[in-house]
Amino acid sequence: MGDSELVEGRFQQLLPAELMGKLERMELVSRKIFRGRMKGERRSPRKGQSVEFADFRNYTPGDDLRFIDWNLYARLDRLYLKLFLEEEDLHFFGLIDNSLSMSFGQPSKLEAAKRLMAALGYIGLCRGDRIVVQGHSQASRPAKAHRSRASLPQLLDQIDRIQPEATPSFREAVQSFCIRNPGRGIVVWVTDLMDKSGYESAMRLLMARRMDLYVIHLLSPEELQPQATGDLRLTDCEDGDQREVSITPGLLARYQERLGAFLEGAKNFCQRRTISYLPARSDLAVDRLVNDYLRQRGLVR
Amino acid sequence: MTWLSALAPWQWAVMAAVPLAIFLLYFLKLKRQPLEVPSTLLWRQAVEDMRVNSLWQKLRRNLLLLLQLLFVAALMLAALRPGWSGSMGSGKRYIFLIDHSASMSATDVAGSRLEEAKRLAIQRIDSLQRGDVAMVVAFSDRADVKQGFTQDTRRLRSAVESIQPTQRTTQVSEALRAASGLANPGRVSFGGVNDVQVAEAMPATVILLSDGAFPAVPDVPLDYLTVDYTPVGRDEVANAAILSFSIDRNPEHPEEIEAYARLGAFGPMADSRTISLYRNDQLLDAATVTLSPEEESGVRFGLDDVEEGILKLQIDGEDALAADNTAYAALRPVRRTNLLLVSRGNNALETALATDSVAKLAQVRVESPNFLDGEEYRALLEAGEFDLAIFDQCVPKEVPPCNTLWFGIQPPGDGWNLQEPQGPLLVLDWDREHPMMQYLELGSIRIVEGQPLVPPESATTLLQSDLGPLIAVAPRGPFQDAVVGFPLIDHRQSPPTVNTDWLIKRSFPLFLFSSVEFLGGGVSLSHARSVPPGESIALTMNRKYPKLEIVAPDGKRIQQDRGDQQSIVFSQTERIGPYEVFAEGQTQPLERFTVNLFSQKESSLKPQRELSLGEETIPEAVSTLWGRRELWRPLLLLALALLALEWFVFNRRIWVG
Repeated sequence: MGDSELVEGRFQQLLPAELMGKLERMELVSRKIFRGRMKGERRSPRKGQSVEFADFRNYTPGDDLRFIDWNLYARLDRLYLKLFLEEEDLHFFGLIDNSLSMSFGQPSKLEAAKRLMAALGYIGLCRGDRIVVQGHSQASRPAKAHRSRASLPQLLDQIDRIQPEATPSFREAVQSFCIRNPGRGIVVWVTDLMDKSGYESAMRLLMARRMDLYVIHLLSPEELQPQATGDLRLTDCEDGDQREVSITPGLLARYQERLGAFLEGAKNFCQRRTISYLPARSDLAVDRLVNDYLRQRGLVR
Repeated sequence: MTWLSALAPWQWAVMAAVPLAIFLLYFLKLKRQPLEVPSTLLWRQAVEDMRVNSLWQKLRRNLLLLLQLLFVAALMLAALRPGWSGSMGSGKRYIFLIDHSASMSATDVAGSRLEEAKRLAIQRIDSLQRGDVAMVVAFSDRADVKQGFTQDTRRLRSAVESIQPTQRTTQVSEALRAASGLANPGRVSFGGVNDVQVAEAMPATVILLSDGAFPAVPDVPLDYLTVDYTPVGRDEVANAAILSFSIDRNPEHPEEIEAYARLGAFGPMADSRTISLYRNDQLLDAATVTLSPEEESGVRFGLDDVEEGILKLQIDGEDALAADNTAYAALRPVRRTNLLLVSRGNNALETALATDSVAKLAQVRVESPNFLDGEEYRALLEAGEFDLAIFDQCVPKEVPPCNTLWFGIQPPGDGWNLQEPQGPLLVLDWDREHPMMQYLELGSIRIVEGQPLVPPESATTLLQSDLGPLIAVAPRGPFQDAVVGFPLIDHRQSPPTVNTDWLIKRSFPLFLFSSVEFLGGGVSLSHARSVPPGESIALTMNRKYPKLEIVAPDGKRIQQDRGDQQSIVFSQTERIGPYEVFAEGQTQPLERFTVNLFSQKESSLKPQRELSLGEETIPEAVSTLWGRRELWRPLLLLALALLALEWFVFNRRIWVG
């Protein structure tokens, strides 16, 4: 069964069919090895019932007799248990910042975030990973987890429903997310990091859960190179804060300086905490983003 | 404290509009384009960065700041009132004497001479330095201190602005004396030995702005005064003037009235001008007179059938001074006195009252003493019919309410007392100044018997004999009583005998005529009096009318309450033209007089280049003095222009920051 058939027309935008082919060959890579919940396609720290040999161990009463290496018993007259590597599923959490500021850009940052998340989710589904995707505003509700390629439409539908709206602050959203999703795994956080209360505490929270955290910092071209001119009254779309500015080359240069400092600050913060930090433009095509960008960063393989 | 407004109301309005305009512009500035952005986080930081860091880095290239600095600098400079270096010292005292006499109304310079003088004065006031004090005096034939010594140039300016032209003649001495009194210390002299200076000398500079049309002032002590004289006006000014205008009866034909005028031509004027004569604003006659420079010519008009009214003589055409082109003469209203003579028959008296001269003045009614008891007498008195009553050796029950003249009898009441008859009497002296006794020669008259008078305290003795006063006049409320202390004809003897030879002297009818004129208030001259502008005039009016109203040429009605005075003194003669005196509630004027310039000095418009004041001759000031030009106005304008440019630049963002 071709997966592309599962994708209804309305999700074509989110996950184009031609992209799916490329994605099927990829897999999500975690730099850490986590214990999963169900049998999956990933190596687990647990020993289990796979074909791949892992180790021997002394028999202790109560062990499953099926795993005793009888050949060794015959040779050494001692009972050893033959251990195999257990293959388990990977927990993948996608957290999308759907605050109002994400609705800017052409296509909007949120749109780009959703496409990216759909692509990553599809990769995960193909590998039998456990996929959970949530927006900030939904972080306080438990999210449905998707495991198989058959649930791709549900995943896409869930992603599609994420719309820009007023959201709690990063810290509150992440806190709710952590409480609702107790497992460990990969967290991909797609955000513009534009929160006046700061993003640092939110990242610290995620790191405290020992998540493998990827931060994809999505900025629109308007934010990277503002094209505004004249005397303006800028209104913050989230908190309504107003700033009166007269756009001058001096001010624009100053803005670029600030922007650079902002990006640099985020990058440094992440590096120090082994967080993968990926700045990205919202107008970048998803396949390029996934193929070149994320592969370089090691999120996919 | 009085508020001196430096600006006209519309100028204030413009001033008030400036902050309003700035306010509006401020709102225009605020009209920014709204733009929604994802977050103002970075913008806020960028703007704050700009504020904090860019100040010194941007200074060089910030055109707006430069403009603002220039604007403020210009404002500050303007506030400091920079100017060219003045040629006057500081901490000095100045006295501005500004001539506002008739000749200063001449229009040979822009506006008028007075406007020019005011302009010069204001220029000079503007160039006063900090610490200088000045005062402003306007003078014509009198001095009017418009502003005492002050440093406040605004007050000085508004004092100068308030000077109005007058039609008066010029006398600089009073103004100079006032200035001198302020500058020179007072002296106390004790018999010429101890001449003590009682105050500090306060040297001052008199800035005299005039055309110099006043007589030399020989007796003003200048001492500490420095006179700085600036003549106002051009030298070559043509002006024709009426120097006199009078009317009189033709002695040969008494019914005909002649009007004479003397005309003068001043400056380069060789022209024939038309002279028009109006009566009550109707043209009566006209003549053409050829005027040659600096010469006088006369013109004469004969008038028939003119009994009364106002005559106006006018030189047609325009010249530099308008005030002397018109002259007025008035024919006094015809009014005859009602005179009552009560006598037992006195031919001499009746004959003296029957002369033509008296007949013009008065209507005489002769009655016998019995008339005094009748009803008619009382009714006539109540109606105020009589102006003068003459009682010849007869006496009414009480003194009538009019002027009275008594012969050889004591008036009723307590005021007058007559001594016992004595005689003969010798005339010692008489009051030659009194109107009743003018032109009389009484030294030779002889009196058989008379009763020397004991007059009331307020009385004036007119004739003094060796035994006491014989004729006296005393006021009684609004009226006058004159008493002659001897009878003319002694009726006590039969047949009556003549008591004095005065009856056959020429002075007797003259005395009666003067008495009728003085006591009766009659009008003998047809030609009303004329005074120069600003001079007061004494008007002797019938006492019947306690309240008078004087109508000036501009139609202003001036109430005058005469009180107990024999004559009223009217001083509001500022304007040239005819004045009419009305009794309260009457439509016919009682009296007329005219105000005319008639001044050769005022009409001769050539400014004096040299003044003779005190013992000094003051030359024309070398006019280096009006050097100061104010810069603050152009600076202020520059500031405004800069402000406008700044707004333009700001709104167009021409600048490259």
